[in-house]
Amino acid sequence: MTVQAANGTTNAPRRPPPPGGGPWALGSVVAGALGSSMTRYVLRRVLWGIVLLFVVSALTFLIFYAFPSADPAALRAGRQATPQLIEQIRHALGLDKPLYEQFWIYIKGLVLHFDLGYSYENNVSVSSQILSRLPATIALTLGAFVVWMLVSLPIGIISAIKRGSAVDRATMGGALVAISAPVYWLGLIVLLLFSRDIGWIHLLPGSGSYVPLTSDPTQWFLSLLMPWFVLAAAFAAFYARMVRGNLIEVLGEDYIRTARAKGLGERRVILRHGLRAALTPIVTMAGLDLGILLGGAVLTETVFNIPGVGRYAYDSIINSDLPAIQGTVLFGAFFIIVANIFVDVVYAFLDPRVRY
Amino acid sequence: MLRILGAARARPAAGAAGVAALLSLAVLAAGCGSSSSGETQSAASAASGVATTPPPTPTSCASKGGTLKILSAGDVDHIDPGQAYYAFSYEITRPTQRALLVAKPNSIDLQPDLAASMPQVSKDGKTVTVTLRPGVRFSPPVNREVTSADVKYAIERGFSTSVANGYAAAYFGVLEGAPTTPPSFPEPISGIETPDTHTIVFHLSRPEAVFDAALSLPLTAPVPEEYAKPFDDQAVSSYGLHQVATGPYMIKNNAAGSINGIGYQPGRRIELVRNPNWDSSTDYRLGCADQVLFQEGYQDPTVLTRTILSGAADANGDVPPPAAELKSILANSTQSKQLYFTPAGGSRYIALNTSKPPFDNLNVRKAVAYVLDRNALRLTRGGAVDGAIATHFIDPSFGARGFDQAGGKSYDPFPSQDFSGDVAKAKDEMKKAGYENGMYTGPEISMVADNVAPGSDTAKVVAADLAKIGIKSKIVSVTHSTMYTKYCNVPKNEPNVCPNVGWLPDFHEPQAILDVPFNGKNIVPSNNSNWPLLNDPRVNAAMDKAEQTLDPSARYGQWGAIDKSVTETAAAVPWLWENFPTLFSSRVVPALMVDNQGSPDVSLMSVK
Repeated sequence: MTVQAANGTTNAPRRPPPPGGGPWALGSVVAGALGSSMTRYVLRRVLWGIVLLFVVSALTFLIFYAFPSADPAALRAGRQATPQLIEQIRHALGLDKPLYEQFWIYIKGLVLHFDLGYSYENNVSVSSQILSRLPATIALTLGAFVVWMLVSLPIGIISAIKRGSAVDRATMGGALVAISAPVYWLGLIVLLLFSRDIGWIHLLPGSGSYVPLTSDPTQWFLSLLMPWFVLAAAFAAFYARMVRGNLIEVLGEDYIRTARAKGLGERRVILRHGLRAALTPIVTMAGLDLGILLGGAVLTETVFNIPGVGRYAYDSIINSDLPAIQGTVLFGAFFIIVANIFVDVVYAFLDPRVRY
Repeated sequence: MLRILGAARARPAAGAAGVAALLSLAVLAAGCGSSSSGETQSAASAASGVATTPPPTPTSCASKGGTLKILSAGDVDHIDPGQAYYAFSYEITRPTQRALLVAKPNSIDLQPDLAASMPQVSKDGKTVTVTLRPGVRFSPPVNREVTSADVKYAIERGFSTSVANGYAAAYFGVLEGAPTTPPSFPEPISGIETPDTHTIVFHLSRPEAVFDAALSLPLTAPVPEEYAKPFDDQAVSSYGLHQVATGPYMIKNNAAGSINGIGYQPGRRIELVRNPNWDSSTDYRLGCADQVLFQEGYQDPTVLTRTILSGAADANGDVPPPAAELKSILANSTQSKQLYFTPAGGSRYIALNTSKPPFDNLNVRKAVAYVLDRNALRLTRGGAVDGAIATHFIDPSFGARGFDQAGGKSYDPFPSQDFSGDVAKAKDEMKKAGYENGMYTGPEISMVADNVAPGSDTAKVVAADLAKIGIKSKIVSVTHSTMYTKYCNVPKNEPNVCPNVGWLPDFHEPQAILDVPFNGKNIVPSNNSNWPLLNDPRVNAAMDKAEQTLDPSARYGQWGAIDKSVTETAAAVPWLWENFPTLFSSRVVPALMVDNQGSPDVSLMSVK
């Protein structure tokens, strides 16, 4: 990030475009056409994001081969397959080519055709698998995000205002418990308490009950209620503590004292001046957490048997299914990078001191 | 079906107290019976203390219609019937595909399925003729009647790289003209003839005792060439995603025949619907339910078990109930009636690498066989409910098919009190091997094991037992599939000990248990399943002879003797004849495949 100079231009030295053009040159041309420093900044971040995705992809590739993992050709061939058959499969899958060549073929398919390859396990397109699972992951993540924000903001604000009170102690104590409860444990407990099939109180659909929104909206909503709250629990607790801490700090600032001295109402001081500044780091965190979860909430999806991207990632690792591993890792990295860019942009709107 | 015993049906280890309680409960539930006719597998019960009597064979539907729901943790290994090779995958192929032969319900004996009668074998054992049953039709979009050419093509495609069947070469490589180098795409095999639309003749290059048994494998389920060829002619065949069925059910498809994302959502669900072209008069299957859902992704076996007990699902597909749940179920007089144990048909064993020191020495291996606490090993997998402690390799469920001939349960060449190991005898063997004081003095040995329980616990018990005779072990922990494909299956990478291996038969012939894992001719540079690298000329010769002995009585006697010979080499130390538990909901009439590890048989189950 560069800080905007007084004359409206960035004070970072402008790099010349590489000979023959390239991403940077393209970015500069587009940025020049679009004009504003913010646009240039966003474009630059997007280009760096693409570079980062490339690096992530290369690292995943290397890690798969560098660390002990199963032989995909042998797995595909089955138990009694002859060594000749395994070698033929290795050849057919291109696994006998040098690593750099395999990687080049992969990247070429990805860039030219958005082709993430085919699963070694079942020969199904990885991109179609990820896309078909994406709605479940998005539904889980966004729902949980709404829950944790709706819970954490009021609790954090009240705790900050009523600092040291019984309410503060009770909510922060509760938050500590929620942070300490692992998702896989909490998920099982909630299932054993409230699910219709195996719960003590037959209240909500249990594990494996997820259906797409389009097929049955009511069942979709009910099946996600428990996962939303379980996934949100730890986040809500952590965010409540963050909001509380930030707000307490902000409320001690001079400009808050000035606002009060000018006769502004306490509600306006807290919500308009205090909370806005206190929320800035929360936005950063929320963006990143959202990006990470969109890449797959592995544990929650596994405990509640939600067919999302996270469970696909889990299954692909278990099966040493490299194309699927690559696809899910890239996908997760994509969301994290997008979330990063988004957060940086939102930052500027929330905090007028920040400019690019 | 043949698969290495591994994580798919693994259970967490139970504590000793829990296991003791479980054992006492299990003893109460014990049953008995004869296995000599192959009707039931109760022989294991006496040793394990758990009844292994299957539920009565349904002869009619309790009701027509409804949905059966089977829960599983993972997906099938391959959806293509020509590739499928897991017990769980056979839960899909059995109700959808009709192989030439099939195991009788509640039996390990075979009967005709697509075949009209049992195969006719020529006197010299080199020609096998099968007549097909008329009136069997493919499901949409193919719709036509099955012919012998469809069976021929099904077997031929299995040899190609694009389909890559895991057992084609092992059982059908004996066909004249069978490829020795896998072709990229299906090619005709001269040793398969189809003189008319309902006759298929197999010409073998030598007599093969288990060839007719191999005709029960799903590779022999018909595949229509005119429809499948375009899919098979891809680098990786996608016929599995467009397959057609011959059984009472088919995987739900669209008009073009694709099941991808429709009836088959990998890792999520497999949906079977009625095959409109199925004629019940041609089949022993009942096809009672309208729909069968295999719901996957149940990673927590406790949740899976309780969901079945609640009646929200009907049976466990690939993961057994965990030990704590089994204990609870067995203690409940109602729920215990919904639980059935089935012998897996194979054994778990500790493989000792005979190709390098110190286990190239027979006496050192015998010392290990004596010192291993097989009771402690069994406890790492849950205790007595998991099955009887193995003392040789042929499973008790084989009965007169080799188990009895090997000496049955009374044969134990390395006995110890309560199977807990005999350190004194082990040290005697070490002394015979030249180690003074009976303690090993050589370098540390290597062991590659699973990185999760129960396999990791098994490895720790082995290491602790080896330490009793001075052998220090270095354990490398990896995933189960890595353990096989990168280490134990690759002789040049193979450690001294592979503690987490085992072998299940493709069908109930002792050859299917002993030949691949212990015949020296099967040692290959990769995908090797002879983990001890045992290459004993005496054993090899006996196996080669038994493979070509067509008379069952003589053959089973030969394999019984081979079992003893292999056991006495101590190249591998068997420790568990495993049972698999299958839990049914109270709302269904249960049925299971005793020939396939007790997997639920949805083609015979019905909603009450």
